[in-house]
Amino acid sequence: MDGLSAMGMLSPYRVLDLATERGVLCGQLLGDMGADVIKIEPPGGSPARRLGPFVNDEPHPDRSLYWWAYNRNKRSITLDIDRPEGRELLKRLVPAAQFLIESFNPGDMAARGLGYETMAALNPALVYVSISAFGQDGPKASYADADLIIMAAGGPLVLTGDDDRPPVRLSVPQAYLHASADAAVGALAAHHESVRSGRGQHVDVAAEQSVALATQSYVLAAPLGSVEARRMSGGVKFGPLDIPLVWPAKDGYIALTFLFGSALGVFTRKLMEYVCARGFCDEATRDKDWIAFGDQLFSGAEPLSEFERIKQIVMNFTRSHTKAELLQLAVERGFLMTPITTIEEVVKSPQLESRGYWRTLEHPELGRRVTYPGPFAKFSATPLEYRRRPPTIGEHNREIYCGEMGLSEAELANLAERGIV
Amino acid sequence: MADALPLADVRILDFMWVMAGPAATRMLADYGATVVRIESPTRVDTARTLQPFHNNTPGPDSSGLFGNCNAGKLGISLDLGNPRSREVVFDLLRWAQVVTESFSPKAMRAWGYDYESLRKVKPDLIMVSTCLMGQSGPLSRIAGFGNMAAAISGFHNLTGWADRQPAGPFGAYTDYVSPRFTAMAILAALDHHRRTGEGQYIDQSQAESSLHFLSPAILDYTVNGRIQSRAGNSDREFAPHGVYPAAGEDRWIAIVCQSDSQWRSLCSAIKRADLANDSRLATAAGRREHSAEIDEAISAWTREMGAGAAEAFLQSRAIAAHQVQNSAQIARDPQMAHRGHFVEVNHSTLGKTFVEGPRARLSRTPARVRSAAPFVGEHTQHVLENILHYDEERITDLVAAGVFG
Repeated sequence: MDGLSAMGMLSPYRVLDLATERGVLCGQLLGDMGADVIKIEPPGGSPARRLGPFVNDEPHPDRSLYWWAYNRNKRSITLDIDRPEGRELLKRLVPAAQFLIESFNPGDMAARGLGYETMAALNPALVYVSISAFGQDGPKASYADADLIIMAAGGPLVLTGDDDRPPVRLSVPQAYLHASADAAVGALAAHHESVRSGRGQHVDVAAEQSVALATQSYVLAAPLGSVEARRMSGGVKFGPLDIPLVWPAKDGYIALTFLFGSALGVFTRKLMEYVCARGFCDEATRDKDWIAFGDQLFSGAEPLSEFERIKQIVMNFTRSHTKAELLQLAVERGFLMTPITTIEEVVKSPQLESRGYWRTLEHPELGRRVTYPGPFAKFSATPLEYRRRPPTIGEHNREIYCGEMGLSEAELANLAERGIV
Repeated sequence: MADALPLADVRILDFMWVMAGPAATRMLADYGATVVRIESPTRVDTARTLQPFHNNTPGPDSSGLFGNCNAGKLGISLDLGNPRSREVVFDLLRWAQVVTESFSPKAMRAWGYDYESLRKVKPDLIMVSTCLMGQSGPLSRIAGFGNMAAAISGFHNLTGWADRQPAGPFGAYTDYVSPRFTAMAILAALDHHRRTGEGQYIDQSQAESSLHFLSPAILDYTVNGRIQSRAGNSDREFAPHGVYPAAGEDRWIAIVCQSDSQWRSLCSAIKRADLANDSRLATAAGRREHSAEIDEAISAWTREMGAGAAEAFLQSRAIAAHQVQNSAQIARDPQMAHRGHFVEVNHSTLGKTFVEGPRARLSRTPARVRSAAPFVGEHTQHVLENILHYDEERITDLVAAGVFG
């Protein structure tokens, strides 16, 4: 066992991680919180290892940065669960595990004789987590899927992008990350219950539902009888209003919330006072009723052309400042704005630096240290530890099969020879 | 108790407001946690002012966003500026296992409700502070919404067309990503507490949590020095990979070919066998290079089709495709209906309204939306009587002191 993990919040627990590329984040989250996660890969390696980008752009299953991103704090064994002996070995691991995670196409595990009912018979307290695009059953359960398909189905896509072009997704795939994070929460809730009842259950997560959270509740517009929001580059169209949330700066763009109403109008008033003091508008413009302004636009008491004029004023203001100057104003004066940054700027962020966010892991097989995004939160008693770099294929076969399951070296060699591990 | 809701024994005192924080405790309430949510009688929760509105009409309880983030919680109205409110807060603290808050840093300290102060009363407290940038650092004072944390964390620059300004993900993106991390942090900390008796303080930066959704792009920079940027709908693995126009106003269909054989199936489906035999297009890299030509061929077919019909036709050939759905279409989506995604709840002032259902389906003890979101102070009396067991005299005295607004 891993001595370093003794202090982790989930250190008494073992996770059997059979997830494909769809669900690898879920096991990593449990691993970051201290669980002993055994990544179970097919003999050629997980399909997640075939996804780029790769170190130096050279495709190699141990150098996939997608794999690295979501498989730290795991040990890897290879196992062919399409063969009877492979399935038997997997079943030997089940009684001592608290969690099993899988993200095959719905029904694939049951077809192998490895479905929830079978596993629960071996370990009634097991929490068995299935992550899929549309859920384990229902009319679309067997749909062919992909990140873009799920974002289209679940609601975020139609709201994102320029109004004169097709809807657009975030360029880094997101759908299964939402689902995997929901799965970790569901798994821990089921585990909490199993401690009380001694019984586990099947946790079934549908990515289509998970990504609906990324509509800011606009997915509810039709059931509520509200008008739909419509996409607009760097903003949103709501009713007659074009509401920008992305604004130009002298050297790039910023996100700025420029809205009205009893909560947000206060911030807008503060901003307009500053904009006026800097000579970008007259006092009559400054002194508008920013709390009521939105309602006035909807009722027609203020013409839409007035909103357009004011947006131009604010744009003249933001455009005359650099991103850094605007960020400084946000810190000092509480304006609702931040710069739009590149990944490079994120990695060099003084804020993240000052909080000691980044972690490095040694990759001895490549002779280099690699910088990873750090712990997702700071825990005072049980800080998240990055104990293991993402494993190479089957790196822990001997440690687990021989050291923990009691197979002899000869038995392991025999299994390897026949392609089962 | 065996089949009670999974978190039936969990008690949370919730100071959180707006979006990211309340979305996290909403998840825990669905699983059965008792969440007592403090709301100011004077300072309106911003979420109550945000669209979409029930019956398209603004009102103190009409926000579908607020309703969605706060269903299943008990709402107590408390004027935290009133010195007499302290006794209520400390009694709730003694009752709770977990305290959550999502103010900008310093607010809790100003009230004397920071972790160090609270743990003097309850040494094994679990407390979560969640805010945009975390409790420390030069930007810790930045307050606002998830669009701001998303922008400064790289999400905006990665969303949109390469030849245009960043479009940004829709709305307050980190407010959707971070609640899951908040909820799992609380559940793991509770497990640790159960085994060791030890509580702790959790400092969550919503930006830092959300960066885990960009990890591959971050590693591409820290390992390869490449700065990924927005790339429309193109994908590094698959081609074609896009969103195509369908018949009707603002109707679209997303189509992805994940293998060369799916590409050939697509060619046959759109009656362009000539493309399937074009050697320039035999690989994903070749198809990406000639994407303009391919997109035109696919669009010519999709324009003639309804988005739903195209989806069914392509899926019947095992090609990944789905119509791009807005709220009205999702409300008619048979899969979402099968999953029970829209849940009707009875709201005390609105009557029948809707929230989203729980996301992870638990087979034996499924989560349940037990009530609509509270109006301000809806459960004050209930909490004082049934959770704090105050007698009538004490309640009358606190009311007279203006503690509840």
